[in-house]
Amino acid sequence: MSELQSSLLLKKQLAELNKNPVEGFSAGLIDENDIFRWEVLIIGPPDTLYEGGFFKAHLYFPKEYPLRPPRMKFVTEIWHPNIEKNGDVCISILHEPGDDKWGYEKASERWLPVHTVETILISVISMLADPNDESPANVDAAKEWRESYTDFKRKVARCVRKSQEECS
Amino acid sequence: MGNCLKTSSSSDDISLLRGNDGVNSSYNETQQALNHQVEQYQRVFHPTSTSTPSIIRQQEHLTENEDHVKLAKRIGLMQHLPFGTYDGSSKKARECVICMAEFCVDETVRYLPCMHIYHVHCIDDWLMRSLTCPSCLEPVDAALLTSYETT
Repeated sequence: MSELQSSLLLKKQLAELNKNPVEGFSAGLIDENDIFRWEVLIIGPPDTLYEGGFFKAHLYFPKEYPLRPPRMKFVTEIWHPNIEKNGDVCISILHEPGDDKWGYEKASERWLPVHTVETILISVISMLADPNDESPANVDAAKEWRESYTDFKRKVARCVRKSQEECS
Repeated sequence: MGNCLKTSSSSDDISLLRGNDGVNSSYNETQQALNHQVEQYQRVFHPTSTSTPSIIRQQEHLTENEDHVKLAKRIGLMQHLPFGTYDGSSKKARECVICMAEFCVDETVRYLPCMHIYHVHCIDDWLMRSLTCPSCLEPVDAALLTSYETT
């Protein structure tokens, strides 16, 4: 997959998302001359602790996309077991593909070249609603989520408020 | 460039085809093509001074710890996946889900054991990273081995 093909594929997705926006997020480029770096705004999913928040995140695509996954980083502060304190998203579908002989049952959870900005964001939005407790990126948030949910809720609510102030 | 591959690839490659006696007649031909392809990929993994900058860049991102034996096995296996020319008659697959481009008549496409089809260059690049069908996640090598064993 050449750099040209990668950029064509990303341009196609950007055009499609502009034409037919998907509920739950909006997408654009950080710099309009660089198709490999995207900025997305995720709307806190309804009926979750993140409801009402507007969370900005960046996606950095490698030149080998779609053979390799992008990295995703929240720019807006967010408190979540699967998002590192510096904003890096830790979700299995963004993990490099591998061929662990005994790990076939997990292939579906790792990166696949059929993933698009849309499918990535749908996964991230569902992760917001439903944290994965097993491999936390933010251990403190995971511990709080399990053991002192009230504190967890308070921290998330503070992030939601802050995100609203930043957006207005 | 290393010749260590040739010894290991011959035994490994044939071990993938156990139970299929017919393969021996075309063995030399296949082996020649295989060696050529291994060398091509080796060039990507271990660029010499003649490598272009783009190849060096490519090399940096390829899977780490991929040893030569594994690589040779993989290429050998990929060579047994059928390919053909897209004739436009397939009602099901109109586009290659990897590059999201529509298939054009006369383009070379590869058929995986699960019958999903892709552009040869799109799917081969992916199979070098993971032997899984991107659409249905069917493991490509296991499926191949099973079909060889049962026929």
